[in-house]
Amino acid sequence: MIALVLRLAWRETRAGWRHLVVLVVCVALGVTALVAVTGFAGNLDRALAREGKSLIGGDVELRSPRPLDTETEAALASLVARGATIARVRELAAMARHPRRPSTLLVELKAVGEGYPLYGRLETRPARPLGELLAGDGALADETALTRLGVAIGDSVLVGDVMLVIRGVILNEPDRAGRIISFGPRLLVAGPTLDRAGLIRLGSRVNHRTLLRLPDALEAAAVRAQLAGVISDPSVRVSAFDEGRPGWRRFYSQLTSYLGLVGMASLLVGGVGVAAAVRAFVARKRDTIAILKCLGATSRLLLAAYLVQAAGLGLVGSLAGALLGVALAPLVGSLLSGLVPLALETRLEAWGLLRGVAIGTGLTMLIALWPLGEVRAASPSLLFRRDVEGNAPWPTRRWLAALPLVAGAGALVLWQAVSLTVGAIFLGAVAAALLVLALLARALAWLGRRRPRFPSLALRQGLANLARPGGHGVGVVVALGIGVMLLVAVGLLEASLGQQLDLERRREAPSFFFVDIQPGQRERFESIVRDVSGVTPAVTPVVRARLAALDGHAITRALVEQRRGRGDDGIGYFTRDYVLTAASALPAGNVVTVGHWWSNGATAAHEASVEEAAARHLGLAVGSSIAFDVQGVRLEARVTSLRQVDWQSLTTNFFVILSPGTLDGAPTSYVATARVAPNAEAAVQDAVVQALPNVTAIPLRDVLERLGRVLDQMAVAVRTMALFAISAGLVVMAGALGASRYQRLVESVILRTLGATRSTVARVFAVEYACLGLAAGVGGSVLAAVLAWAVLRFVLDAPWVLAPLALALGLAVPTAVALAVGSLATWRLLGEKPLPVLRRE
Amino acid sequence: MGRMILQVRDLVMRLRSGGREVAILDGVNLDVAARETVAVTGPSGSGKSTLLGLIAGLDRPTAGSIVLDGVEITTLDENRLARLRRDRVGFVFQSYHLIPTLTAIENVAMPLELAGRPHRLERARELLDTVGLVGRADHYPSQLSGGEQQRVAIARALALRPPLVLADEPTGNLDSATGAQIIELLLALNREHGSTLVLVTHDEALAARGQRIVALRDGRVVGAA
Repeated sequence: MIALVLRLAWRETRAGWRHLVVLVVCVALGVTALVAVTGFAGNLDRALAREGKSLIGGDVELRSPRPLDTETEAALASLVARGATIARVRELAAMARHPRRPSTLLVELKAVGEGYPLYGRLETRPARPLGELLAGDGALADETALTRLGVAIGDSVLVGDVMLVIRGVILNEPDRAGRIISFGPRLLVAGPTLDRAGLIRLGSRVNHRTLLRLPDALEAAAVRAQLAGVISDPSVRVSAFDEGRPGWRRFYSQLTSYLGLVGMASLLVGGVGVAAAVRAFVARKRDTIAILKCLGATSRLLLAAYLVQAAGLGLVGSLAGALLGVALAPLVGSLLSGLVPLALETRLEAWGLLRGVAIGTGLTMLIALWPLGEVRAASPSLLFRRDVEGNAPWPTRRWLAALPLVAGAGALVLWQAVSLTVGAIFLGAVAAALLVLALLARALAWLGRRRPRFPSLALRQGLANLARPGGHGVGVVVALGIGVMLLVAVGLLEASLGQQLDLERRREAPSFFFVDIQPGQRERFESIVRDVSGVTPAVTPVVRARLAALDGHAITRALVEQRRGRGDDGIGYFTRDYVLTAASALPAGNVVTVGHWWSNGATAAHEASVEEAAARHLGLAVGSSIAFDVQGVRLEARVTSLRQVDWQSLTTNFFVILSPGTLDGAPTSYVATARVAPNAEAAVQDAVVQALPNVTAIPLRDVLERLGRVLDQMAVAVRTMALFAISAGLVVMAGALGASRYQRLVESVILRTLGATRSTVARVFAVEYACLGLAAGVGGSVLAAVLAWAVLRFVLDAPWVLAPLALALGLAVPTAVALAVGSLATWRLLGEKPLPVLRRE
Repeated sequence: MGRMILQVRDLVMRLRSGGREVAILDGVNLDVAARETVAVTGPSGSGKSTLLGLIAGLDRPTAGSIVLDGVEITTLDENRLARLRRDRVGFVFQSYHLIPTLTAIENVAMPLELAGRPHRLERARELLDTVGLVGRADHYPSQLSGGEQQRVAIARALALRPPLVLADEPTGNLDSATGAQIIELLLALNREHGSTLVLVTHDEALAARGQRIVALRDGRVVGAA
């Protein structure tokens, strides 16, 4: 039985392979896209694993917003006694300035101690030992830092109160990778140099990193666990090299997952081609199926044979696609090279290949199952000359065949998607796209059947062609439309996000954030900004604190680890450093959703207003108590309201605001924002930093531009993947044109016999193809607008922007492409001599 | 008369056509004995082909019963019917209906293959030999003449030595000389295999070659000779 099924499947393929090429190519394109993405993800994972130690800087890393406490230091000392090596690193944002010119620059300052780097190599020009380069307030800098400050090796640069000498350029810093966006270029100094710069003051945000290199006898995971047990402060993050940077990993797994969804869409478009190819195949095989049934073949046997055939073709396509995908994985890597500061090497990964092949083959079978329902319906009585039209019953099980397809495709998508929301949006989009595009194609066919009375023959006849029996209009419109939808959606998303990132358009957004303004510097700061720009900055008092207790329960590492174990994604709310402020009025852009804002007459009691998402993760409600540790002093307040915060406003926003008076006596520094004219930006920054070297000015324009570049890269990557969907759509169209070639040949010959010129016939076909392309364009663009809106609204939480250009291109390009592909495929038909064709009829 | 291989009782077939019900067969009774050769004749539209299709279990009658080789077939399901056709019925069609993608020998081997018989190709070659086409075994149907295609079809119909062979206008697409040869071949092989032949034709001369003629008109048996 199995041998028979295989033999039947093979013979049917042997004879009809030309018609099945479309199926193989469609599957191959989809699988290529999918495997290229997973291949890239695999390459990235391997690079992370390979360079895990240099990425975090040691076997184990401790990150803390404060210097480590004595019990932690004791634990570290005992590890050193057992052979471990320690290197200490501090990182902070700071301002560097030219000693003579008014030129200043935000840099990421890094102070390293003895032993750094423990793993990997810090490559410099000139290549000298690090200790030698950094001695005597020596510094190393990125090339960009030197260019932007206008200094060279050997020149001096001021940071805080200390004059640095630039001794070299950093070519590669092993533990800098692992951040998507940086504030500015790197400046590297020795620990004592930072201490003398006087930068670390009240409210300064410093990242204290302690790196450990362990002897062979000690295992990283065990040491991590041991340290985690000793260190009670939950804000100290302990990680072993094999965990890497979880945030960074999350970013990439999300990115590759989105790209994977686009690849999935290509596969689904290919699926439309598979369905069309199988349908055409079965239609051609009706007689053969009837004969075989007459000879005693059961429907089940035939179904099995054709399913095996489809699976075999799917397998061939998937294998080709998987191999091509592996070859193209580096392309994805190079598209994202700006975001991936690691050297990726491509390797043939059995699992990734297998997965691609399994998905491609499985999906092909699921999709083929539906049109193969016709095999059951094909009645052998077809072979007898019948006096009356056959009454072949509609196969009721046909709809059942769609169920595994829907379930299978749904499961695949959810497997690929990052979250249920994203998966649901994607599935919704695909379902809506199929429905809308199919309806659109049906509407076109309906219009064609109505034969509207256009004066032009080409228009009339071209439309009528859309209603051609057994036409492929639906498949073509659906397949092209999904590709259009993806590309236009990316364009619309880019336009919307681009506008969010365009400082000129964001008139309410500040041009600067100033941080670390000390209490004694406030008046001076305000007057400098006013004098230079004519603008009064908005200054807010802030106190840095860490969360101490919620409703009387102390926030301990044990509690945090327990939540981490449960897969809580809000751990950061427990471990982060909180910037607190006290305010009497509700800040702009904030809306109280639960409870009440305190009345203006200051209350005696300490009250707190907490941002909604933070409250949800922390389990806070109105009436809860929240306690902070402000440099060893405990500060307790009762939650009286929850707030919704418009984080898109790009102004100073707070998770926790306290009632006036609550922070009295606490060590307060100031942050400030100011919106100044673009041509005054440099002057304001230079003036503030020259006068108050410890104040850090963060230019929002730079930050937004950096973000914009990241988004651009992601958009290019997504677009490239979407091209696979478009290509699959074009293959579907080419397949449809191939399948209806003979029909169109006869049509063109008849028209010409009736006296139509060649150019009239060409125009008739042009109208047909343009209509298909236009329908795909209209449907795809409308769907893209809805998809972009949904993604902005539910995933990115950003406003929707109409981008006329993207939409116009979404209409014009598919129309032109359909016209071009159609004309190319039809050109030869127009040259055929009518008589031989008519004789054949 | 010997054992009955086919008993048709009160067979009715109605179909909807153009919104009203048409009786294609209206109470047909027919008995065919084993090894008999019966010709079913009648003008076009008399229901000959429908009768043949129902006997083969290719469609379900509106009413009546058909007992084929002792089995009531009107109540069998699709799969049982397929096996019954495979094992007990051979077909010859007017337009041959060979599978275009298979060679002559593969076409003949197909019933053997479906029945899971061993040595199918050897057996198919013998069969092609009996219809005089062993030299064209590896040709595709499109490379054969009409008469040759019909001979391949006859070899295929007899491959499993079915007790009943149904032939639907087997010479309808052939010129008269070739048609005569085909009928000779069909009758000769039928005798040799000891099978029963039910032949549908509207050619009186051809019908006269059978042992018995059943004439149909408007869905009823109007005469037998």
